[in-house]
Order: sequence, then structure tokens, then C-alpha cells
Amino acid sequence: MTDSKLRVDRVPTPPDGVKLPKKPLGTFRWISTALALTLVLWSVLEIDAKWSRLPEAPADMWTLGRVMFDSMEVSKIPDLLSAMWESIAIAWLGTIIAAIFAVPLSFLAANNLVGKPVAWITRQVFNLLRAIPEIILALAFIPIFGLRPMAGVLAIGVGSIGTLGKLFYEVIESINKGPVEAADAVGASRLQRLRWGVLPQVTPEITSFLLYRFEVNIRASAVLGLVGAGGIGSDLAEALKFKDFGTAGLGLIIVVLGTICVDTISGAVRRRIVSGKKTVLDVDQEASLHVGSMSMGI
Amino acid sequence: MATLHDGVVSATAPTLPAKPGMSMFAIGTAIGAIVLTIITAISVGFSLSEIISNFGRKNSVVEGLLNPDWGQIWSRRSRSAFIETLQLAVLGTATGATVALPLALWSTTFGNPNRALRTLVRSCNNVIRSIPDLLWALLFVTAVGIGALSGLLALFFFSIAVTTKLTSDTLDGIDMGPIEAANASGASLTQMLRTAVVPQILPSYTSFVLYNFELNLRASAVLGLVGAGGIGARIEFFRGRGDWEKLWGLVVMFFLVVFIVERISVTLRRRLI
Repeated sequence: MTDSKLRVDRVPTPPDGVKLPKKPLGTFRWISTALALTLVLWSVLEIDAKWSRLPEAPADMWTLGRVMFDSMEVSKIPDLLSAMWESIAIAWLGTIIAAIFAVPLSFLAANNLVGKPVAWITRQVFNLLRAIPEIILALAFIPIFGLRPMAGVLAIGVGSIGTLGKLFYEVIESINKGPVEAADAVGASRLQRLRWGVLPQVTPEITSFLLYRFEVNIRASAVLGLVGAGGIGSDLAEALKFKDFGTAGLGLIIVVLGTICVDTISGAVRRRIVSGKKTVLDVDQEASLHVGSMSMGI
Repeated sequence: MATLHDGVVSATAPTLPAKPGMSMFAIGTAIGAIVLTIITAISVGFSLSEIISNFGRKNSVVEGLLNPDWGQIWSRRSRSAFIETLQLAVLGTATGATVALPLALWSTTFGNPNRALRTLVRSCNNVIRSIPDLLWALLFVTAVGIGALSGLLALFFFSIAVTTKLTSDTLDGIDMGPIEAANASGASLTQMLRTAVVPQILPSYTSFVLYNFELNLRASAVLGLVGAGGIGARIEFFRGRGDWEKLWGLVVMFFLVVFIVERISVTLRRRLI
């Protein structure tokens, strides 16, 4: 390679009188890197894992995969498909229930609509709800509702309130003040102000976040079944428990395909909602979507 | 507004503009959503009265939640399970995030000029992403065996999924200037990525890794439910015995810790970006 001669291997010495700028040395960066490395090292040394099994893991997974593919039965597909549908249904209903609570609550968490103390309290409620995994909620709901999809629906519903609420109030806080002031100026009541000043501005993004959460929840509901809260997870856990690897493999494929399928549909709707007419957006346009309402207001 | 500029005010009474109708798309989406809600409600047997009556009944779960046994976290076994959870989250994040960076870089047009390879990497990412954390755990428990190693492997794949996705989204929006400059000066692909791409995404990437750690901490709590180590094993144990006071004591304490870690991590992430 002749061009390798052209490559600069060292920083060239600057001409006299010119000082190279010093490389910034962030103390904060060094300390945090060192802390992170220590934490990793401690975990490696202290964790009670059977490291000797690690080299065999790829072979084990390969064997499991092969057994799954070898013993697949086509006759199991309809059952698994209806279980997948149940998972999708759980995810959708859960998302709707969460939205019913999250939308009004998020108005109470937006700094530009209510006083600081109220917003702070509502936000802490969201943070708390966000910290609990759906699975734990499902564990709590199963003894109450039995091993049925209802336990899953409520687990997803309660579990999504926090995340949705957080996403929603961030949208509400980024709105253009103009319409709200206009509503105030014509003597709108508090409710009318929300209806005409805020809601039209936030509906597209709230809907799009709702769909996004639905996509996330499909994965969650597929998993909830593993502890018995209905959906395809129950079939998967059962199949693996009774070493019916063929059914488990088919179930896995259906989970993956089903998730990708719903993601694609929901993603297309989302993009259409946020962008209006279907166009290919570059980043600058994407950013302008968020301030687009502002320029229209003037 | 036009009348102001012209300096002429129209004499006729202003007519209100016609109210814009809802677009066909909005109506379609709304109807679709309502229909989907009704169909799904029927297929899972949703009933509001059942929820009310079930919650109204006395049950040990809610009673346990009302008087949790705080002492649980100090018992030796719970504490070691707790530490194992922390270690799982740390290692899962560290290993997964390390692999995620090249995977994200190779899924871009500038990081991977070979179209076939790029498609391969992308589909791999998609498949990894569509399998949830607990399902990974269940698979590894089945194939590799019960224990922390399976949990670690599960978190490894889960972290790859999360960090790769977030990082590739950031990569879509980077400044192409430095890349062109690096290519023009004859940098190899690795050199170009190292000097022109990685510095641009490093702050976001670090913040994604922290976010991923928060997710992993929460996920590692439940891995034990399927036998993959950590505090979930204790939770499952108490659940099996119906010991809800102890279960809630453990869960509430754990999530208080998660909550605090998350606050710290959020503050760090704000500083990064």
C-alpha cells in the first residue's frame, strides 16, 4: 500500500510559537470509569456462577435449538397462534387501561398546567409505579384473579401507568403556550382550556407513545404467561417444563414473528400519526415536527 | 392579517372559517382502536365487576402488602440473593453493552459497506430484540441449567438488544463530516469508526449503558422466578409458601434500592448529555 506513507502516525510538531491545545482531562470521567471497572471486577470475582459451564453453553444452546427444530409438530400451530393472540389482547387491553389512568394523571404532573407541589407528587407516583416490574404485579394479581388473562391485563395496566404518564407529561410540557393563552383570553374555563388549548396539541404524540407502549407490552405479556398470567408464555413454560421442545420451539418462533409483525404495523401507524402525510423524514425534519406547531401558531 | 397589511378593513362581517373536519386517517385509527379494544376485551373475558368484587374480597396478598416484614432484607440468604442480583446486573450490562457497540456500528451504511452483511447484522439484532428478557432466561435455564450463569447469559442478550437499538438510533443522526474527513485522509474502516464516529456517540452511548443498567437491575429481580439466580429465587420461594408478608417486605425494600440507584443514574445521565 503506497498510501500508507501518507498516513500520519504521530501528531506533527507544531511550528514555533504555536501551542497545541491541551487534551481535556476530565476528573469526573476518570473517577466514574474507575468506579465502573471496580464494580465489574468485583462482580466477576464474587458472583456465584458456575463459570465452568460457560464454555459448554453455546453447545448446549445449539443442542436445544436442534431438538426444538427436530420435533416440531405442525398440528400445534393453531393452539399457539390463539395463545399469541391472547398475549396481544392482554397487551392491548393493559395499554388502554394504563392510558385511562395516565392521561388525566399526566395533566397533574405537567409543570405548565398545575402548581409545582402537585406536579412533584404525581411524578413520584409515576416513578414508583415505573420501578415495579410487571412480573411482580402479575405475581400479586394471580392469587386474586386466578391463573387467567385478567391477572396479566391488570399487571400490564398498572405497570404501564408510570411510563406512559412520564412520556405524556413531557409531551404536555413541550406544548406551545399560544393556544392556552388564547383560550384564557376568550374566558375559557379550566376544562375548556384543556380541551381546546392543550389536547389538540398533544393528541398525536400521546397516541404515538401509546402505540409504542403497546409494542413494549406485547413482549411483557408474552413473558407474563411464564408465571401463569395467560397468553403464549404459559404454553411456552409448560412445553419446556414437560420437555416438549418441539412445541416450545414453535412457540418461540411465533412469539418472534408475532412481535415483529405487530411492531411493523404499529410502527407504520405511529409514523403516519406524527408526520401526517407519509414522507421520508430526515433528522432535521423529525426535529422540526416538535416545533412545527409553534411556527403554525404565529 | 392580510387586511392589516393592506390598510383596508373589509366592510362585510367576517365569516368564521369552516371548522376543519377530522381526517379520514384519524377517524379510521379511532374506530380501529375501539374495535380492537372490544374484541380483545371479549377474548380475555374482561369484566369490571369481577375486578371490583375480587379486590373487595379479603385476600392474603393485599394483607401481606399492608403489613410487610421489613426484617427480610437483613436475613443472610436474602442479602446474598440481593448481592447476586446486583452482580448479575453489573456483569450483564458490562458484557452486553461491550458487544452492542460494534453491532450497532456494523448495522449502519457507513460502518458496514457490505450490504449482505449489514442485512445479516440487522436481522440478528431484530431477532435478539424480539425475545424478552425472561424468555432468554427460561431458554438458558433449560439448556445450561439453573443458576446465576443462566441469568447472566439472559441479561447479556437483553443488554445487547436494548443498547444496540438505542445506539443505532443515535447513529442515524450523526454528523457525516468527520466520517468524510477520515475517509479522505485514508483511514481504514476501524480507524474511521474509532476517530470519526465513536467520539460523536460516546456521551449518548454511555447514557444508554446506564439506562440499560437500570433496566437490568429491575430485570434481574425477576430472572430468579424461572430459576436464573438472584433475588427472584427468594421471591419465588416466599410465593410458593404463600408468605406474602415476607415477600412484600423483600420486594418493597429491593425496589426502594432500585429507585435510589435509578435516581443516581438519571442524574449522571443528565450530566452526560
